[in-house]
Amino acid sequence: MIEIHSPTARRGVEVATPLALLLGTYLLFAGHNNPGGGFAAGLVFGCVVALRSMTGLLKASGSFVLIAVGILIVTAVAFSPLLWGDVLLDMQIVETKLPILGKVKSGSAFVFDIGVTAIVVGLVVALLNGLGSTPRPRETDNS
Amino acid sequence: MILWIFALHGAAMVAAALLGRSSIRRGMAAAGVAPLVGAIWAISQLQGDNAPSTEEIVWVEQLELVLRFSTTPLALMMAALVSGIGVLVFVYGVGYFDDTAEGGARFSTTLLGFSASMLGLVLADSVWTLFIFWEFTSVTSFLLVGHKNTYPATQAAARRALMITGAGGLALLAGLLILADNVGSTSLSDLSPASGTRGTVAAVLIMVAAATKSAQFPFHVWLPGAMAAPTPVSAYLHSATMVKAGVFLVALAGPAFGDTVSWKVLGMAFGIASMMWGGFIALRHEDAKLILAWGTISQLGLIITVLSIGTGKAVFAGVSIILAHALFKAALFCVVGEIDVRTGTRNVSELGGLSRSMPIAFAVAVAASLSMAGAPPLLGFPAKEAAIEAVLGLEGLEQLIAGIGIFGGSVLTVAYTTRFLYLVFGPGPETTVAPVRWAMTIPSAILAMAGFAGYVFIGWVNDIVIPAATQVNPASDKYELIAWPGLKTAFVISMAIIAAGLALGWVIANRTQEAPDARGANVADRTLDNVLILADEVAGRVQHGSLPVYLVTMILTVTLAGTIFLGDLDTNGWVAWDSPFQAILSATIAIAAIGGVAVGSRLGAALTLGAVGVAMAGLFLTHGAPDLALTQLLVETIVVVGFVLGLGHLHRRFPPVEPTWRMIRLFVAIAGGLVVSGGLLAASARPVGQAPVEALQEGSVDPGGGNNVVNVILTDMRALDTLGEVVVLGAVTLGILALASTRSTASNR
Repeated sequence: MIEIHSPTARRGVEVATPLALLLGTYLLFAGHNNPGGGFAAGLVFGCVVALRSMTGLLKASGSFVLIAVGILIVTAVAFSPLLWGDVLLDMQIVETKLPILGKVKSGSAFVFDIGVTAIVVGLVVALLNGLGSTPRPRETDNS
Repeated sequence: MILWIFALHGAAMVAAALLGRSSIRRGMAAAGVAPLVGAIWAISQLQGDNAPSTEEIVWVEQLELVLRFSTTPLALMMAALVSGIGVLVFVYGVGYFDDTAEGGARFSTTLLGFSASMLGLVLADSVWTLFIFWEFTSVTSFLLVGHKNTYPATQAAARRALMITGAGGLALLAGLLILADNVGSTSLSDLSPASGTRGTVAAVLIMVAAATKSAQFPFHVWLPGAMAAPTPVSAYLHSATMVKAGVFLVALAGPAFGDTVSWKVLGMAFGIASMMWGGFIALRHEDAKLILAWGTISQLGLIITVLSIGTGKAVFAGVSIILAHALFKAALFCVVGEIDVRTGTRNVSELGGLSRSMPIAFAVAVAASLSMAGAPPLLGFPAKEAAIEAVLGLEGLEQLIAGIGIFGGSVLTVAYTTRFLYLVFGPGPETTVAPVRWAMTIPSAILAMAGFAGYVFIGWVNDIVIPAATQVNPASDKYELIAWPGLKTAFVISMAIIAAGLALGWVIANRTQEAPDARGANVADRTLDNVLILADEVAGRVQHGSLPVYLVTMILTVTLAGTIFLGDLDTNGWVAWDSPFQAILSATIAIAAIGGVAVGSRLGAALTLGAVGVAMAGLFLTHGAPDLALTQLLVETIVVVGFVLGLGHLHRRFPPVEPTWRMIRLFVAIAGGLVVSGGLLAASARPVGQAPVEALQEGSVDPGGGNNVVNVILTDMRALDTLGEVVVLGAVTLGILALASTRSTASNR
């Protein structure tokens, strides 16, 4: 893994992390009504993982698990309606009232989005691991 | 009941796999239970006038994807043969193998798997069912031929068998598809005469499929090689049952193609050529198994010929010979296997005098050979008489060709049989033999006795054969097998054939000669090798691994394909911009793109590409697509991270490019850009119908429950697409990760 040994960059990433996580979570929840969604949220989380591992704050791993869990979640959401006799991918909407937040509406589409997020983060981790591994010897690049 | 019999075969396969682990003989014994029950069932069904019953498992009803089995008379006759000979072969196998033989679980399970597949093939009532079991028999045959999988010759033989019968399977699939489409039903009991060009094409395809499976000239080259298999396999698959699948197919498709000229001509050509060539080569071989294998090719040719002639009498004769041939040829193979095991050789020139040391085998061989030669009092006699009668019933050229073919083929059959018997059992230095193995002797004796019993109880055989033949051609019900016809023309011809054959066989047997080369098999192998070499070269040239060349090829293809849209370009209705921002952003994109081409450092190029992406996100925003813009921005960010990581592996600056190559790349890039832009303009100038915006918006709120149409489409309305994409993406990534990890471990070594 290439690490950037700059204290400024490291401190900046440390400060930005909670904000980025908040943004990603917002995008994940906002997706149904506003711009955002599971894919965008996954990319934001992916950026967090990438920046933290480049500044040496995190050792990225587990892409295999993330992708597998994501695929399991989306297929589970897709096929579970069949258990109740509904059609494939029939999305359910749940509405409840919670303290502080007030009326909250969500549904199985949200769970589906979580699966998508997991896969996207997994892909980013795979990218980091694949490209960030030990560089090949320079001689192969003839210029 | 049929489905239960298949379930029993499955259970017996598990038992054979478990018991065969310790000893192949136990595995064979366990496996034999399933065909025993199958044989009892099939023979009980043959008694009395049972109407055909059908059993099915429906998978996709609309596509008629069903497993359907039916107990038609022909199917039951074949099922009785498959399971009946199956039992005997499994018992025979108990004697044939030593306890030390390896791969017992594999062998007994595969052989039983073949038995079940063959049973499914003959009982199938839907074209899909037929095709699936047809392929199962090819695959199990491949595994059984290649049982001794460490010998290169065995590997080549197994591969040859699979390639030829597999290619035939493809022809069968195509033929059945056309046929089913023509008739409008996938049921094999609904076949009606096929006509027209499509009928002809289907007839040719199905006949070719039958010829590959039944080892007809010139597709016969796999059968002699298949003799590399242990003898129980040769007796079962390559004489009595699997090679009968092609013949059975010709009978089964008779109602559809009986009147098609190409069917008849092709079938007779395959049949007569195989009959003559097979008999001719069988005269020259020294290996007893190869003599029988070439004899099988010849006999199958005879059956195909009479079935293709297609008259009531000919079909009747064909079905009768199927029955007779299965009995005598399996018996002969069993005898050869016994000789092989007890003397240690199958070479007829090394053998001799076995009539004294192996009297039972001698009796079996004589009885089976007489049946094959068509001599009384054995089942082969009335069957052969029926074939000659059928030829006598023809007219003109057809009679001449079929007559010469069958006469010549039959003389050769008698001749190679005589030579075989004379050399193995006749006078000469007696070969030393090991003690008798009853598990081998008894099944072969039963097979030979069955040929005799079939002659004595000819009425019972008639009860089986007549309905089976009538199923193929309704005109067959007028005929029956006759035990003793008296001095009729056919009888005289029959005796003339035997006399000529005896004389020829006698002459040949006393001459030493060289065994023929396996020329056809070599040609087949070389063809296959050359195809593989060619494929390797083509792949090596096309997949040379240069990323720029791949990219240029792809972009050039897209450019050429896209030029057809340029004709629809229409300058009317072009708007320069909706807002001035778009102009600014577009200019930014253009400048950044040009800069990306001009810049010499890799980091610079990455940054200009980033600028293009960000400006593109801005363009999306001005068009009112915030979701797209957001995604674009985020993807750009990730890509920048990727670049930073990737550039660490590369040199800072691009390598120099040869000027000509650079010009080509430049040209392709510019042409591609122009064509894509033009195509997009042309597409927007020609809207097809009304965009379903309103319907989507309404559907998004109810039942989708969200206001962001784009995301509701992704997660609800078209969630199936998302699911598919996500799963594919994930699977591909997991695959690449696995590949990448193997590469790094390989290079670390």
